[in-house]
Amino acid sequence: MKMYLPPPGGRDSRRGFLKKGLFGGLLLALGGGTWLALKKGAQVALPPDLKVLDERRWPVVLALVDRFIPARPGFPAAASLDTAKAVDAILTMVDESSRVEVRQLLMLFENALPNFLFGLRTTPFSLLPPDEQDQVLNEWMTSRVPLRRTGFLALRTLVMSAYYGNPATWAAVGYPGPPQGIHDPSAPAWKGDGQPRPMGNGVMLEVPAPEAVDGGAP
Amino acid sequence: MTGRIFTGDEVTKDTTVECDVCVVGSGSGGAWVAHELVKAGKSVVMLEEGGYHTRREFDMTEARAFPNLYQELGNRTTDDLSVSMLQGRSVGGGTTVNWCSSFRTPERILKVWKDVHGVDTLSTEVLTPHWDAIEQRLHVAEWPLEAINANNRVLWDGLGKLGYERGLIRRNVNNCLNLGYCGMGCPVDAKQSMLVTVLPDAVEEGLTLYANASARTIEWAGRRVSAVRADVLDPVTNRPSGVALTVKPKLLVCSGGAINTPGLLLRSGLDADRRVGRRTWIHPVVVMMAQFEQDIRAFSGAPQSVYSHHFIERGPGKIGFFLEVPPVHPMLAATVSTGPGAKLQELLAELPKVQAMLAITVDGLLEDEEGATVALKDGAYSRYTLSYKFLDAHAEAFRAGMLEMAKIQFAAGAKRVLSLHMDPLVLDGAKDLAKLEAAEFGPLKHKIVTAHQMGGCPMGKDPHTSVVDPHLRFHDMDNLYVVDGSVLPTALGVNPQETIFGIARWAGGQLAQAV
Repeated sequence: MKMYLPPPGGRDSRRGFLKKGLFGGLLLALGGGTWLALKKGAQVALPPDLKVLDERRWPVVLALVDRFIPARPGFPAAASLDTAKAVDAILTMVDESSRVEVRQLLMLFENALPNFLFGLRTTPFSLLPPDEQDQVLNEWMTSRVPLRRTGFLALRTLVMSAYYGNPATWAAVGYPGPPQGIHDPSAPAWKGDGQPRPMGNGVMLEVPAPEAVDGGAP
Repeated sequence: MTGRIFTGDEVTKDTTVECDVCVVGSGSGGAWVAHELVKAGKSVVMLEEGGYHTRREFDMTEARAFPNLYQELGNRTTDDLSVSMLQGRSVGGGTTVNWCSSFRTPERILKVWKDVHGVDTLSTEVLTPHWDAIEQRLHVAEWPLEAINANNRVLWDGLGKLGYERGLIRRNVNNCLNLGYCGMGCPVDAKQSMLVTVLPDAVEEGLTLYANASARTIEWAGRRVSAVRADVLDPVTNRPSGVALTVKPKLLVCSGGAINTPGLLLRSGLDADRRVGRRTWIHPVVVMMAQFEQDIRAFSGAPQSVYSHHFIERGPGKIGFFLEVPPVHPMLAATVSTGPGAKLQELLAELPKVQAMLAITVDGLLEDEEGATVALKDGAYSRYTLSYKFLDAHAEAFRAGMLEMAKIQFAAGAKRVLSLHMDPLVLDGAKDLAKLEAAEFGPLKHKIVTAHQMGGCPMGKDPHTSVVDPHLRFHDMDNLYVVDGSVLPTALGVNPQETIFGIARWAGGQLAQAV
């Protein structure tokens, strides 16, 4: 089985895999019909209104969210913000080709076969205890195989945007959010057609020079 | 004569329009070239794939800005995810979301273009009257030292302590409120982006601008373009609405920017012997984060106001870099950073004390560099296959850049500095610089980002090594021009918007004669 793996750091072989799509090549090599690949993951009730994730991928995303956003005092629980559903929502907005790749990646990540090859584990990711899940993520993050680091970054970015894009996290990180009284949602939207062009806010406000910021006061 | 801006919801049945010139793209290149053409009395139709978003929608939240104002929700990347790219996508293009840094093209870069690439049309003398006019229209002025925020102050102070060259950045703003949300669209129209300046100027003088119109293919035969076929996109879902928009121009200008202009040409079978999309330059950037005892509030205040060109030329065979800082808002900080989630929480728990710095490397100047390659991707609508060929020289520059940034951050009082290695290196003082010395550098060893996309349709005299000629005409065609960042034969060593403005304004005058 080892022969299917790209040699560590091997530039050309990595390119070869990537030509077929981000994970297509590796999936072809690893995904085919062995008993490990077919092992079932965690059985979790599926929310009714998911758009992209399905019953095999949803538990993986739930587990990933828990590990990327571990419980920490002051930080809202990812579950309370529906971060996994926010991941699903992000996936509805991306290019179809990205959806295909993320679907593949989630299965590759969950799949017992690659986890066996890389880490001698026979249990799907979603069924591993949290500390072992952290270990798996760590292995992907620091792997000598570039493709696994790529996979780690993809999953990390997805979960982090879903969680930290939520204004409910601002207090935890000490982010004051946008200053109040600036944005005008009823500002006129000008489209030409002979209509007079409205002045911009910045032009109307008489601010002689940029004010110094002290970096302290909100 | 007055023009109009149409959005996708207003184009409900298949439409064909004829005009003198069609400009595809409304960013730093398209806006200026279109304005020059309407001023000269030409009928101009502009197609913009992104939406028409204005300050009415710029609510300064990342979750709203990234999906609406950036390519691929802000997550455009190389195939292997080693490089993350911020690239604008709305009316105004990158200028709607950039951080306002305005630099004229360095003399030495124009010299390389002339000496190495045969670009004999552009020079400081030719571009200066254009830059003068542009800077006047866009209120380009140096940001005062007393107004710089603490994030930039770290760079300024650190550079000063180490005796490195430093300067204040000129910004295209008018009555700027020093808020810090430039990257999410200026909520008060203070940023003099194309969205609020040159585009409305051009509309008042007759430009017809279709937003949510994605140019898919160019129809051509022999040496002439006859039409551009576009999909109208639903402004909410961003998916094709099923309505077709066809423009039949006498002359076509591609101004979709690096990556998207090559994409349109490749979809249309115009690949210039496979040169289209190659030699794409991105100013690969490495980032260092620092933690301070005191508040930095890097999300507040003009994002970029200090720079250093101290390391811009590092000797033969070496890649130079320049130093600036980025704003630090939580979502971007979380996605650009690296390492396990728990470590990120530790850093972000004190987000107001985080400072960030950029070493922006100047690619395209070494003989053996190939840069990035853009190619079509199966099954994709708005994505491309993107790969970057990193050389040892890049890794060397990343190492030098990170080391210098750490030194500067410590000199300015940082208590801790973190690299963006896959597992971040943590330096608890200058004594730990050796850790960084010993680290590995290169793609997927640490984060590489870019906000500057250039090249892919390089201009040049020799049709065997370039895509457009020194007058920006596609070599093999009579009425097809490229006017955007993709024509740059190399990267610049400065933020690119004003270079593209200048070239586009110059080109607009030339093209008015060609129609």
